[in-house]
Amino acid sequence: MRDLVARYLNHALSRRGFVRGLTQAGLTATAAQSVLSSVSSVARAQSPVPAPPSAPATAAKTVPAAAANTGNAAIKPFQGPGGAAFAEQLIASGVKYVFGNSASEDAQFYEALVDRPQLKYILTPHEGPGAAMAAGYVKASGEPAIVMQAAVVGMANAMGQIFNAFKEQTPLVVYSYRTDQSRRAGRDGFEEVPNQEQIVQPITKYTWLARRPDMIPETVRRAFKAAWTPPHGPAYISWHSDYNDERVRTEIIAQDQFDPRMRVRPDPDEIERAAKLLVEAKTPLLIVGDEVSKAKAVGKAVKLAEMLGMPVTQVRQLYANFPETHPLWVGNVPAGTLRSQPYPKNPDVIINVGNKFQHNSPAPIVPRGPTFIDMRIDAASMGNVMLTAVPLVADVGLGLDDLIAAIGQLMTPTLKQKAAERAEEVRKYAENAKTLRAMVANSPDWDQSPLIADRVTWEIAHFADPDAIIVNEAGSVAMHSFDFNPLGGRELFYYYGAHLGSGVGTSAGVKLARPNQQVICMVGDGSFIFGPTALWNMARLELPVITVVYNNHAYSGPHSRVISNVSGGRMVQTRQFVHDYLGNPDMNMADIARGFGVAGEVVQSPAQLREALGRARQHTVEGKPYLLDVQVARKGVGWADKPWIPPIRVAEMRQRKV
Amino acid sequence: MIVRPSLLGLATALALVGAAAAQQPAPNPGRDAVMSKCFQCHTDAMFRDQRQDRRAWEATIYRMIGRGGLYTADEIKLMADYLATDFGPDSRPAAPAGSK
Repeated sequence: MRDLVARYLNHALSRRGFVRGLTQAGLTATAAQSVLSSVSSVARAQSPVPAPPSAPATAAKTVPAAAANTGNAAIKPFQGPGGAAFAEQLIASGVKYVFGNSASEDAQFYEALVDRPQLKYILTPHEGPGAAMAAGYVKASGEPAIVMQAAVVGMANAMGQIFNAFKEQTPLVVYSYRTDQSRRAGRDGFEEVPNQEQIVQPITKYTWLARRPDMIPETVRRAFKAAWTPPHGPAYISWHSDYNDERVRTEIIAQDQFDPRMRVRPDPDEIERAAKLLVEAKTPLLIVGDEVSKAKAVGKAVKLAEMLGMPVTQVRQLYANFPETHPLWVGNVPAGTLRSQPYPKNPDVIINVGNKFQHNSPAPIVPRGPTFIDMRIDAASMGNVMLTAVPLVADVGLGLDDLIAAIGQLMTPTLKQKAAERAEEVRKYAENAKTLRAMVANSPDWDQSPLIADRVTWEIAHFADPDAIIVNEAGSVAMHSFDFNPLGGRELFYYYGAHLGSGVGTSAGVKLARPNQQVICMVGDGSFIFGPTALWNMARLELPVITVVYNNHAYSGPHSRVISNVSGGRMVQTRQFVHDYLGNPDMNMADIARGFGVAGEVVQSPAQLREALGRARQHTVEGKPYLLDVQVARKGVGWADKPWIPPIRVAEMRQRKV
Repeated sequence: MIVRPSLLGLATALALVGAAAAQQPAPNPGRDAVMSKCFQCHTDAMFRDQRQDRRAWEATIYRMIGRGGLYTADEIKLMADYLATDFGPDSRPAAPAGSK
């Protein structure tokens, strides 16, 4: 009888044929009519019909979403394979690009793409850089995208970038099927692992499984809703691979029908308190963070600072969230806490707008003492480390609107005069600081070859377009001289999660999203070698990115930090560091780039660098990516000209010339 | 933009060690500049064994500018002079804290 029901619901059997089958199976005519009634009501309520495994659906049977009419334009009834339903819902969720790596069990999805050209599949040759590319696209476009890969094996490759998305609060949606098919799971099959979704659960905002084939669209909608509802974060979805093959009746629904449009206004009483504290402060300080850029509220942050003549700084984030050319900008916090910020020395009231604060030391970033106001949508990470006098849980765009209005009510002529005087003091400091920062070019090593990293950065900064986008994954390289300005000037895409290998992929995704802006990727050799496969995507898609590899043939950051952790130890005494030297043989990144179809060259001197940047520009004008492998000097404690390498000599072990 | 612990910590570290060892050090504006400018970011752990000549010290200080360090040309000269004298190639490395 079960087979009869399945065939009936799958339209393989008429009502009459269904009843006849039931009576032949021994039911009375009345009982058969009763079963028919029940089954029909279930079909109407749920509409799913798992097709028999022996009769997989085909794309030819797919009913295009627009073909049916429910009376609600946002809802489109759908019949067809689960994989096609997946594609339909992605379109309805606003997805234009799928970043994927080949997955045989997604066959019905690929089949569906043939007749859905609006959903573009970008084949990425490794899931990690592929996910970085997707994340770069999402961050630069503000539009949804999906990363998909084969089962747990592909997912494992993407996990580093899922981790980055989690730390950086990027709304990335990731899917991989479960190879344990619903009808034969639990037998330790090919690529099967139990509880696949639990592997990524700690590094995602949300995970969800489709429990039936017809629930694929609903699961997709859940993922995009969760990822894109602030605070953003990655979502992971999965289902049994045979669901993609089964024929389903389901609904495709526009994503906006599920968007909670969570734009939170802060508590008015807390806004009043914050406004009062700020106008009465002697030395207020504004810290900005990525929520300002995400809320497109940079202009409002500028206005708040200008109302109070308040200096502005930033602790490590992805973006530059305030114009660095503004006279109230006093520079980024140099080290992990505000104690390292030279100016203002002793702020009495500090307001953070949108900075998540990555605490990397026992000392809180905002020290005990100053009154602290924290305005963010990410309520879960507020108040855990710092004492928060005034919490303002809000979309920072709306929060700044309200705070600016409240301060405007309180500003008297005397307070305005005080703010103007403070602004003048800050301006003088900022002007002097700018002069002192320019002295970076006075280094006695400035003209040396191989180049010092600061020279490379300076040359790039003087080469880059006024509205260039800088993607930076050169962790040991200081960022200076760019004068980032999110209000129409240069933009920064830094990293926060630190799973290496994101830079090249991110810059490819950024260029895909912003084809009309110059994109320059700055990446250390250690990071570059974790994710060069995205160069191939640049070549195939003609994404004219300029990639500059700071190649000192070493992991500089770990080198310095290891010495810090074991100062005065045997490593320093003997100069035997096992973990940091990447030379001998030296990697040639330009050769690697050529292997992926990207032209490039090795640069040895400052003069060569300028000429090479000119050639890079010419390539990008012609729509081609270009890579510079810039030879950079190793600087720091304990480096030898020819660093020691562990004596593992397989040649001495060989007894046969094979 | 972002600063990780790095070279100037050596200067500050050694300066502190030196300052602690001496009972009442003679006035030294170079050391004072190191003490006031470097310990905002660095501890003494990283660079106790660093020894280099004046040019290298000067280059080290300039390298900190890109990481947020702000110094006048005079301050750089004073710091480089001091570090080259007390932590030059022929100076004896300081012992790690707690060791004999």
